[in-house]
Amino acid sequence: MAVPVSQMYTVSKYVLTQKWKGVKRYPLVLMLEPLFRCNLACAGCGKIQYPDHILDKRLTPEQCWAAADECGAPIVSIPGGEPLIHPEMATVVRGLLERKKYVYLCTNAILLERKLDEYEPSKFLTFSVHMDGLRDEHDHAVCRDGVYDVAVRAIRAALARGHRVTTNTTLFDDANPERVRAFFDEMMELGVEGMMLSPGYSYQKAPDQEHFLKRDRTRQLFSRILGNRKRGWRFNQSPLFLEFLMGKREYQCTPWGNPTYNVFGWQKPCYLLQDGYVKTFQELLDGTEWERYGTGRNEKCADCMVHCGYEASAVEDTFGSWSGFGRTVKSTLLPNAR
Amino acid sequence: MTDLVDQPERGGSPEGRDVRPRTREEVVELVELAFDYRGDVTVELAAGRKIEGYVSNRNTGAPRPYLDIIPQQAQEIVQIPYDEIVAVTFSGEDTAFGKSWHEWMSKHESQRRAEAERVEQEARSRGLL
Repeated sequence: MAVPVSQMYTVSKYVLTQKWKGVKRYPLVLMLEPLFRCNLACAGCGKIQYPDHILDKRLTPEQCWAAADECGAPIVSIPGGEPLIHPEMATVVRGLLERKKYVYLCTNAILLERKLDEYEPSKFLTFSVHMDGLRDEHDHAVCRDGVYDVAVRAIRAALARGHRVTTNTTLFDDANPERVRAFFDEMMELGVEGMMLSPGYSYQKAPDQEHFLKRDRTRQLFSRILGNRKRGWRFNQSPLFLEFLMGKREYQCTPWGNPTYNVFGWQKPCYLLQDGYVKTFQELLDGTEWERYGTGRNEKCADCMVHCGYEASAVEDTFGSWSGFGRTVKSTLLPNAR
Repeated sequence: MTDLVDQPERGGSPEGRDVRPRTREEVVELVELAFDYRGDVTVELAAGRKIEGYVSNRNTGAPRPYLDIIPQQAQEIVQIPYDEIVAVTFSGEDTAFGKSWHEWMSKHESQRRAEAERVEQEARSRGLL
Protein backbone atom coordinates (compact mmCIF):
# COMPACT_ATOMS: atom_id res chain seq x y z
CA MET A 1 0.00 0.00 0.00
CA ALA A 2 1.47 3.38 -1.04
CA VAL A 3 -0.02 5.58 1.67
CA PRO A 4 0.28 4.50 5.33
CA VAL A 5 -2.98 3.61 7.05
CA SER A 6 -2.50 6.34 9.68
CA GLN A 7 -2.30 8.98 6.97
CA MET A 8 -5.35 7.60 5.18
CA TYR A 9 -7.23 7.57 8.46
CA THR A 10 -6.27 11.19 9.24
CA VAL A 11 -7.28 12.44 5.81
CA SER A 12 -10.52 10.43 5.79
CA LYS A 13 -11.47 11.69 9.24
CA TYR A 14 -10.70 15.26 8.23
CA VAL A 15 -12.76 15.10 5.01
CA LEU A 16 -15.70 13.40 6.70
CA THR A 17 -15.63 15.97 9.50
CA GLN A 18 -15.76 18.79 6.95
CA LYS A 19 -18.68 17.12 5.25
CA TRP A 20 -20.48 16.52 8.54
CA LYS A 21 -20.03 20.19 9.40
CA GLY A 22 -21.42 21.15 5.99
CA VAL A 23 -18.25 22.96 4.92
CA LYS A 24 -18.58 23.52 1.18
CA ARG A 25 -14.98 24.46 0.47
CA TYR A 26 -12.18 22.98 2.51
CA PRO A 27 -8.45 22.64 1.85
CA LEU A 28 -6.82 19.25 1.59
CA VAL A 29 -3.19 20.09 0.90
CA LEU A 30 -1.49 23.37 1.73
CA MET A 31 1.02 24.22 -0.98
CA LEU A 32 3.64 26.10 0.98
CA GLU A 33 6.23 27.87 -1.17
CA PRO A 34 8.83 29.23 1.26
CA LEU A 35 11.02 30.62 -1.54
CA PHE A 36 11.21 30.75 -5.33
CA ARG A 37 14.99 30.36 -5.65
CA CYS A 38 16.08 27.06 -7.20
CA ASN A 39 19.41 25.45 -8.06
CA LEU A 40 17.98 24.10 -11.31
CA ALA A 41 16.19 25.88 -14.12
CA CYS A 42 13.99 23.16 -15.59
CA ALA A 43 12.45 23.78 -18.99
CA GLY A 44 8.78 24.55 -18.70
CA CYS A 45 8.93 25.52 -15.02
CA GLY A 46 7.08 28.77 -14.50
CA LYS A 47 7.78 29.02 -10.81
CA ILE A 48 11.21 30.57 -10.59
CA GLN A 49 11.26 33.42 -13.10
CA TYR A 50 11.58 36.47 -10.89
CA PRO A 51 14.08 39.28 -10.36
CA ASP A 52 16.89 38.47 -7.93
CA HIS A 53 15.53 40.52 -5.04
CA ILE A 54 12.32 38.46 -5.16
CA LEU A 55 14.24 35.17 -5.45
CA ASP A 56 16.15 36.21 -2.31
CA LYS A 57 12.94 36.46 -0.29
CA ARG A 58 12.03 33.63 2.08
CA LEU A 59 9.12 32.89 4.36
CA THR A 60 10.18 32.67 8.00
CA PRO A 61 9.38 29.51 9.98
CA GLU A 62 6.77 31.50 11.91
CA GLN A 63 5.06 32.57 8.68
CA CYS A 64 5.03 28.95 7.49
CA TRP A 65 3.52 27.67 10.73
CA ALA A 66 0.95 30.45 10.83
CA ALA A 67 -0.15 29.57 7.28
CA ALA A 68 -0.50 25.90 8.23
CA ASP A 69 -2.50 26.80 11.35
CA GLU A 70 -4.71 29.22 9.50
CA CYS A 71 -5.43 26.87 6.62
CA GLY A 72 -5.96 23.72 8.69
CA ALA A 73 -5.25 21.23 5.87
CA PRO A 74 -3.98 17.86 7.15
CA ILE A 75 -1.24 17.71 4.50
CA VAL A 76 1.42 20.32 3.77
CA SER A 77 3.34 20.07 0.53
CA ILE A 78 6.50 22.20 0.35
CA PRO A 79 7.49 22.90 -3.24
CA GLY A 80 9.34 26.00 -4.41
CA GLY A 81 11.90 26.85 -5.70
CA GLU A 82 14.07 24.28 -4.02
CA PRO A 83 13.07 24.08 -0.34
CA LEU A 84 16.41 22.63 0.78
CA ILE A 85 18.09 25.92 -0.18
CA HIS A 86 16.12 27.60 2.62
CA PRO A 87 18.52 27.83 5.58
CA GLU A 88 15.72 27.24 8.10
CA MET A 89 13.88 24.48 6.27
CA ALA A 90 14.54 21.84 8.96
CA THR A 91 13.07 24.22 11.55
CA VAL A 92 10.05 24.82 9.32
CA VAL A 93 9.51 21.09 8.95
CA ARG A 94 9.95 20.40 12.68
CA GLY A 95 7.26 22.95 13.51
CA LEU A 96 4.87 21.39 11.02
CA LEU A 97 5.51 17.90 12.37
CA GLU A 98 4.80 19.17 15.89
CA ARG A 99 1.43 20.23 14.51
CA LYS A 100 0.88 16.66 13.27
CA LYS A 101 0.82 17.73 9.64
CA TYR A 102 1.77 15.19 6.99
CA VAL A 103 4.60 17.00 5.24
CA TYR A 104 5.73 16.32 1.68
CA LEU A 105 9.03 18.10 1.16
CA CYS A 106 9.39 18.35 -2.62
CA THR A 107 13.02 18.42 -3.67
CA ASN A 108 15.21 17.87 -6.69
CA ALA A 109 17.47 16.01 -4.21
CA ILE A 110 20.66 17.79 -5.24
CA LEU A 111 21.20 18.88 -1.62
CA LEU A 112 19.29 16.06 0.04
CA GLU A 113 22.14 13.75 0.97
CA ARG A 114 24.06 16.67 2.50
CA LYS A 115 21.03 17.81 4.53
CA LEU A 116 19.72 14.45 5.74
CA ASP A 117 21.30 14.86 9.20
CA GLU A 118 18.94 17.74 9.85
CA TYR A 119 15.82 15.56 9.57
CA GLU A 120 14.55 12.80 11.86
CA PRO A 121 12.62 10.02 10.14
CA SER A 122 8.92 10.31 10.88
CA LYS A 123 5.70 8.86 9.54
CA PHE A 124 4.63 12.49 9.11
CA LEU A 125 7.56 13.43 6.86
CA THR A 126 8.06 12.35 3.25
CA PHE A 127 10.76 13.47 0.86
CA SER A 128 9.02 13.80 -2.49
CA VAL A 129 11.81 13.66 -5.02
CA HIS A 130 11.38 15.25 -8.41
CA MET A 131 12.04 12.57 -11.04
CA ASP A 132 10.79 13.12 -14.57
CA GLY A 133 11.80 9.78 -15.99
CA LEU A 134 14.79 7.57 -16.61
CA ARG A 135 18.29 9.09 -16.64
CA ASP A 136 18.14 10.58 -20.16
CA GLU A 137 14.64 11.96 -19.83
CA HIS A 138 15.19 13.35 -16.34
CA ASP A 139 18.50 15.05 -17.07
CA HIS A 140 16.96 16.47 -20.23
CA ALA A 141 13.91 17.76 -18.34
CA VAL A 142 15.97 19.43 -15.62
CA CYS A 143 18.47 20.72 -18.18
CA ARG A 144 21.54 19.33 -16.44
CA ASP A 145 23.49 16.12 -16.85
CA GLY A 146 24.08 13.97 -13.80
CA VAL A 147 21.10 15.08 -11.72
CA TYR A 148 19.32 11.72 -12.08
CA ASP A 149 22.29 9.89 -10.57
CA VAL A 150 22.54 12.40 -7.72
CA ALA A 151 18.82 11.98 -6.99
CA VAL A 152 19.00 8.18 -7.04
CA ARG A 153 21.93 8.26 -4.62
CA ALA A 154 20.03 10.63 -2.32
CA ILE A 155 16.90 8.46 -2.43
CA ARG A 156 18.94 5.42 -1.43
CA ALA A 157 20.54 7.37 1.44
CA ALA A 158 17.18 8.66 2.68
CA LEU A 159 15.59 5.21 2.51
CA ALA A 160 18.56 3.69 4.33
CA ARG A 161 17.94 6.09 7.21
CA GLY A 162 14.30 5.10 7.41
CA HIS A 163 12.74 8.11 5.74
CA ARG A 164 9.57 7.95 3.71
CA VAL A 165 10.45 8.74 0.08
CA THR A 166 8.15 9.20 -2.90
CA THR A 167 8.79 10.48 -6.38
CA ASN A 168 6.90 13.21 -8.20
CA THR A 169 6.86 13.17 -11.96
CA THR A 170 5.61 15.72 -14.44
CA LEU A 171 4.89 14.37 -17.89
CA PHE A 172 4.46 16.37 -21.07
CA ASP A 173 2.72 15.14 -24.20
CA ASP A 174 5.95 14.04 -25.81
CA ALA A 175 6.68 11.42 -23.12
CA ASN A 176 7.36 7.89 -24.33
CA PRO A 177 4.92 5.56 -22.51
CA GLU A 178 7.24 2.55 -22.64
CA ARG A 179 10.11 4.55 -21.16
CA VAL A 180 7.80 5.91 -18.45
CA ARG A 181 6.73 2.38 -17.57
CA ALA A 182 10.36 1.32 -17.39
CA PHE A 183 10.93 4.31 -15.10
CA PHE A 184 8.15 3.09 -12.78
CA ASP A 185 9.86 -0.30 -12.61
CA GLU A 186 13.13 1.36 -11.71
CA MET A 187 11.61 3.53 -8.97
CA MET A 188 9.84 0.54 -7.45
CA GLU A 189 13.07 -1.41 -7.53
CA LEU A 190 14.75 1.51 -5.81
CA GLY A 191 12.27 1.05 -2.98
CA VAL A 192 10.31 4.30 -2.90
CA GLU A 193 7.03 4.22 -1.04
CA GLY A 194 5.00 5.43 -3.99
CA MET A 195 4.98 7.60 -7.08
CA MET A 196 3.06 10.75 -7.89
CA LEU A 197 2.20 11.78 -11.44
CA SER A 198 0.88 14.87 -13.06
CA PRO A 199 0.65 16.21 -16.58
CA GLY A 200 2.59 19.38 -17.24
CA TYR A 201 0.73 22.65 -17.38
CA SER A 202 1.25 25.02 -20.24
CA TYR A 203 -0.82 28.10 -20.74
CA GLN A 204 -1.18 29.02 -24.36
CA LYS A 205 -3.59 31.37 -26.01
CA ALA A 206 -4.79 28.83 -28.49
CA PRO A 207 -8.27 28.21 -29.92
CA ASP A 208 -10.63 25.92 -28.02
CA GLN A 209 -10.23 23.05 -30.46
CA GLU A 210 -6.54 23.04 -29.75
CA HIS A 211 -7.26 22.80 -26.04
CA PHE A 212 -9.58 19.85 -26.53
CA LEU A 213 -6.98 18.08 -28.58
CA LYS A 214 -4.44 18.74 -25.88
CA ARG A 215 -6.62 17.25 -23.15
CA ASP A 216 -7.30 14.32 -25.41
CA ARG A 217 -3.59 13.80 -25.99
CA THR A 218 -3.02 13.89 -22.24
CA ARG A 219 -5.65 11.21 -21.72
CA GLN A 220 -4.21 9.04 -24.47
CA LEU A 221 -0.75 9.37 -23.00
CA PHE A 222 -1.82 8.39 -19.49
CA SER A 223 -3.98 5.55 -20.81
CA ARG A 224 -0.94 4.11 -22.52
CA ILE A 225 1.20 4.60 -19.43
CA LEU A 226 -1.25 3.38 -16.82
CA GLY A 227 -3.20 0.82 -18.85
CA ASN A 228 -2.42 -2.80 -18.00
CA ARG A 229 -0.76 -1.57 -14.82
CA LYS A 230 1.81 -3.77 -13.18
CA ARG A 231 0.85 -5.13 -9.78
CA GLY A 232 4.04 -3.90 -8.17
CA TRP A 233 3.56 -0.23 -9.03
CA ARG A 234 2.48 1.92 -6.11
CA PHE A 235 1.07 5.41 -6.51
CA ASN A 236 0.93 7.89 -3.69
CA GLN A 237 -2.24 9.54 -4.91
CA SER A 238 -5.94 8.98 -5.41
CA PRO A 239 -6.70 6.07 -7.76
CA LEU A 240 -9.64 8.04 -9.10
CA PHE A 241 -7.31 10.87 -10.06
CA LEU A 242 -5.28 8.39 -12.11
CA GLU A 243 -8.51 7.29 -13.80
CA PHE A 244 -9.27 10.94 -14.50
CA LEU A 245 -5.90 11.29 -16.21
CA MET A 246 -6.72 8.23 -18.30
CA GLY A 247 -10.03 9.76 -19.38
CA LYS A 248 -12.11 7.21 -17.51
CA ARG A 249 -13.92 9.91 -15.56
CA GLU A 250 -14.61 13.64 -15.73
CA TYR A 251 -14.06 16.08 -12.92
CA GLN A 252 -14.34 19.82 -12.51
CA CYS A 253 -11.44 21.59 -10.84
CA THR A 254 -11.33 22.10 -7.07
CA PRO A 255 -8.86 25.00 -6.85
CA TRP A 256 -9.44 25.61 -3.12
CA GLY A 257 -8.38 22.01 -2.40
CA ASN A 258 -4.67 22.88 -2.65
CA PRO A 259 -4.37 26.51 -1.57
CA THR A 260 -1.00 28.17 -2.07
CA TYR A 261 0.87 30.41 0.34
CA ASN A 262 4.14 32.08 -0.62
CA VAL A 263 6.20 35.24 -0.16
CA PHE A 264 3.42 37.30 -1.75
CA GLY A 265 0.61 35.93 0.46
CA TRP A 266 -2.30 33.58 -0.31
CA GLN A 267 -2.41 33.09 -4.06
CA LYS A 268 -5.67 33.44 -6.00
CA PRO A 269 -7.04 31.11 -7.22
CA CYS A 270 -4.64 28.15 -7.22
CA TYR A 271 -1.08 26.87 -7.31
CA LEU A 272 -0.66 27.52 -11.04
CA LEU A 273 -2.54 30.73 -11.73
CA GLN A 274 -1.62 34.06 -10.22
CA ASP A 275 -4.65 36.28 -10.32
CA GLY A 276 -3.73 38.13 -7.14
CA TYR A 277 -2.88 37.73 -3.47
CA VAL A 278 -4.67 38.22 -0.18
CA LYS A 279 -3.46 38.39 3.40
CA THR A 280 -5.59 35.68 5.00
CA PHE A 281 -6.85 32.24 4.07
CA GLN A 282 -10.40 33.31 4.87
CA GLU A 283 -10.07 36.20 2.42
CA LEU A 284 -8.93 33.69 -0.19
CA LEU A 285 -11.98 31.50 0.41
CA ASP A 286 -14.47 34.36 0.60
CA GLY A 287 -12.99 36.75 -1.95
CA THR A 288 -12.15 34.46 -4.86
CA GLU A 289 -14.69 34.16 -7.65
CA TRP A 290 -14.28 30.39 -7.82
CA GLU A 291 -16.92 30.01 -10.55
CA ARG A 292 -14.54 31.79 -12.93
CA TYR A 293 -12.06 28.92 -12.82
CA GLY A 294 -11.94 25.37 -14.12
CA THR A 295 -12.33 23.58 -17.42
CA GLY A 296 -14.75 25.35 -19.74
CA ARG A 297 -14.83 28.43 -17.54
CA ASN A 298 -11.46 30.04 -18.09
CA GLU A 299 -9.10 29.98 -21.04
CA LYS A 300 -6.13 29.52 -18.72
CA CYS A 301 -7.73 26.39 -17.28
CA ALA A 302 -8.65 24.77 -20.59
CA ASP A 303 -5.69 22.39 -20.83
CA CYS A 304 -5.14 21.86 -17.15
CA MET A 305 -5.48 18.37 -15.65
CA VAL A 306 -2.94 18.96 -12.92
CA HIS A 307 -3.12 17.26 -9.53
CA CYS A 308 -3.34 20.54 -7.59
CA GLY A 309 -6.76 21.17 -9.11
CA TYR A 310 -8.13 17.72 -9.75
CA GLU A 311 -6.81 15.40 -7.06
CA ALA A 312 -9.00 17.14 -4.50
CA SER A 313 -11.93 16.57 -6.90
CA ALA A 314 -11.12 12.86 -6.92
CA VAL A 315 -10.98 12.78 -3.12
CA GLU A 316 -14.30 14.61 -3.00
CA ASP A 317 -15.71 11.94 -5.31
CA THR A 318 -14.45 9.21 -2.98
CA PHE A 319 -16.11 10.69 0.08
CA GLY A 320 -19.13 12.25 -1.65
CA SER A 321 -21.16 9.05 -1.87
CA TRP A 322 -21.07 5.33 -1.19
CA SER A 323 -20.75 4.73 -4.92
CA GLY A 324 -17.72 7.04 -5.04
CA PHE A 325 -16.20 5.14 -2.14
CA GLY A 326 -16.94 1.89 -3.95
CA ARG A 327 -15.28 3.17 -7.12
CA THR A 328 -12.19 4.03 -5.12
CA VAL A 329 -12.00 0.61 -3.50
CA LYS A 330 -12.50 -1.08 -6.86
CA SER A 331 -9.88 1.10 -8.54
CA THR A 332 -7.42 0.41 -5.73
CA LEU A 333 -7.87 -3.34 -5.77
CA LEU A 334 -8.46 -3.79 -9.49
CA PRO A 335 -6.65 -0.95 -11.25
CA ASN A 336 -6.93 -2.62 -14.65
CA ALA A 337 -10.67 -3.31 -14.49
CA ARG A 338 -12.79 -1.49 -17.09
CA MET B 1 -3.02 50.37 -25.05
CA THR B 2 -1.96 46.79 -25.59
CA ASP B 3 -0.70 47.85 -29.01
CA LEU B 4 1.57 50.33 -27.28
CA VAL B 5 3.45 47.66 -25.41
CA ASP B 6 3.15 44.74 -27.77
CA GLN B 7 6.52 44.02 -29.33
CA PRO B 8 6.31 41.15 -31.79
CA GLU B 9 10.07 41.10 -32.14
CA ARG B 10 10.26 40.43 -28.38
CA GLY B 11 7.61 37.73 -28.48
CA GLY B 12 5.11 40.18 -27.03
CA SER B 13 7.26 41.05 -24.02
CA PRO B 14 6.95 44.68 -22.95
CA GLU B 15 10.55 44.72 -21.67
CA GLY B 16 12.14 48.11 -22.12
CA ARG B 17 8.94 49.98 -22.93
CA ASP B 18 7.94 53.22 -21.26
CA VAL B 19 4.14 53.56 -21.22
CA ARG B 20 2.18 56.69 -20.34
CA PRO B 21 -1.53 55.97 -19.98
CA ARG B 22 -3.98 58.63 -21.05
CA THR B 23 -7.17 57.37 -19.46
CA ARG B 24 -8.21 55.56 -16.29
CA GLU B 25 -8.97 52.43 -18.34
CA GLU B 26 -5.45 52.53 -19.71
CA VAL B 27 -4.04 52.78 -16.20
CA VAL B 28 -5.99 49.67 -15.21
CA GLU B 29 -4.77 47.82 -18.28
CA LEU B 30 -1.20 48.96 -17.75
CA VAL B 31 -1.18 47.82 -14.12
CA GLU B 32 -2.49 44.41 -15.17
CA LEU B 33 0.38 44.16 -17.60
CA ALA B 34 2.87 45.21 -14.92
CA PHE B 35 1.40 42.63 -12.53
CA ASP B 36 1.80 39.88 -15.15
CA TYR B 37 5.35 40.99 -15.90
CA ARG B 38 8.09 38.79 -14.39
CA GLY B 39 10.59 41.61 -14.05
CA ASP B 40 10.99 44.91 -12.26
CA VAL B 41 9.21 48.01 -13.43
CA THR B 42 9.68 51.69 -12.67
CA VAL B 43 6.54 53.54 -11.69
CA GLU B 44 6.54 57.31 -12.11
CA LEU B 45 4.19 59.16 -9.79
CA ALA B 46 2.37 62.44 -10.32
CA ALA B 47 4.61 64.13 -7.76
CA GLY B 48 7.62 63.24 -9.89
CA ARG B 49 8.91 60.45 -7.65
CA LYS B 50 9.97 57.16 -9.25
CA ILE B 51 9.83 53.74 -7.59
CA GLU B 52 11.54 50.72 -9.12
CA GLY B 53 10.53 47.26 -8.03
CA TYR B 54 8.38 44.19 -8.60
CA VAL B 55 4.60 44.58 -8.83
CA SER B 56 3.41 41.80 -6.57
CA ASN B 57 -0.30 42.56 -6.43
CA ARG B 58 -3.01 45.04 -7.27
CA ASN B 59 -6.46 45.78 -5.92
CA THR B 60 -9.01 47.23 -8.29
CA GLY B 61 -11.86 46.55 -5.88
CA ALA B 62 -10.61 48.98 -3.23
CA PRO B 63 -12.35 52.38 -2.88
CA ARG B 64 -9.10 53.85 -4.20
CA PRO B 65 -7.51 51.14 -6.39
CA TYR B 66 -3.81 50.57 -5.80
CA LEU B 67 -0.89 48.36 -6.74
CA ASP B 68 1.66 46.76 -4.41
CA ILE B 69 5.28 47.11 -5.38
CA ILE B 70 8.29 45.52 -3.68
CA PRO B 71 11.15 48.00 -4.17
CA GLN B 72 14.53 46.54 -5.08
CA GLN B 73 16.29 47.84 -1.97
CA ALA B 74 13.52 47.50 0.59
CA GLN B 75 11.63 44.78 2.44
CA GLU B 76 8.37 46.66 2.88
CA ILE B 77 5.69 46.68 0.20
CA VAL B 78 4.75 50.13 -1.09
CA GLN B 79 1.16 50.80 -2.12
CA ILE B 80 0.64 53.16 -5.04
CA PRO B 81 -2.86 54.43 -5.82
CA TYR B 82 -3.78 54.15 -9.49
CA ASP B 83 -4.63 57.85 -9.64
CA GLU B 84 -1.01 58.76 -8.83
CA ILE B 85 0.49 56.75 -11.69
CA VAL B 86 1.87 58.82 -14.56
CA ALA B 87 3.96 56.18 -16.32
CA VAL B 88 5.27 52.65 -16.03
CA THR B 89 8.57 51.61 -17.54
CA PHE B 90 9.28 47.90 -17.93
CA SER B 91 12.81 48.55 -16.79
CA GLY B 92 13.95 45.15 -15.52
CA GLU B 93 14.69 42.00 -17.47
CA ASP B 94 11.63 39.92 -18.39
CA THR B 95 12.79 36.80 -16.56
CA ALA B 96 10.05 34.62 -18.06
CA PHE B 97 10.83 35.52 -21.65
CA GLY B 98 11.75 32.48 -23.76
CA LYS B 99 11.44 30.09 -20.80
CA SER B 100 8.49 27.94 -21.87
CA TRP B 101 8.90 24.21 -22.50
CA HIS B 102 8.17 24.65 -26.21
CA GLU B 103 10.71 27.45 -26.56
CA TRP B 104 13.30 25.32 -24.78
CA MET B 105 12.57 22.40 -27.10
CA SER B 106 12.82 24.58 -30.19
CA LYS B 107 16.33 25.73 -29.32
CA HIS B 108 19.39 24.22 -30.87
CA GLU B 109 21.18 21.66 -28.70
CA SER B 110 24.25 23.90 -28.39
CA GLN B 111 22.06 26.80 -27.20
CA ARG B 112 20.42 24.56 -24.62
CA ARG B 113 23.76 23.31 -23.39
CA ALA B 114 25.17 26.84 -23.08
CA GLU B 115 22.10 28.00 -21.17
CA ALA B 116 22.20 24.98 -18.86
CA GLU B 117 25.88 25.61 -18.11
CA ARG B 118 25.19 29.26 -17.35
CA VAL B 119 22.42 28.30 -14.90
CA GLU B 120 24.69 25.72 -13.23
CA GLN B 121 27.54 28.23 -12.88
CA GLU B 122 25.20 30.78 -11.38
CA ALA B 123 23.86 28.24 -8.84
CA ARG B 124 27.41 27.23 -7.98
CA SER B 125 28.52 30.83 -7.45
CA ARG B 126 25.63 31.34 -5.06
CA GLY B 127 26.62 28.24 -3.09
CA LEU B 128 23.43 26.39 -3.99
CA LEU B 129 25.07 23.23 -5.27
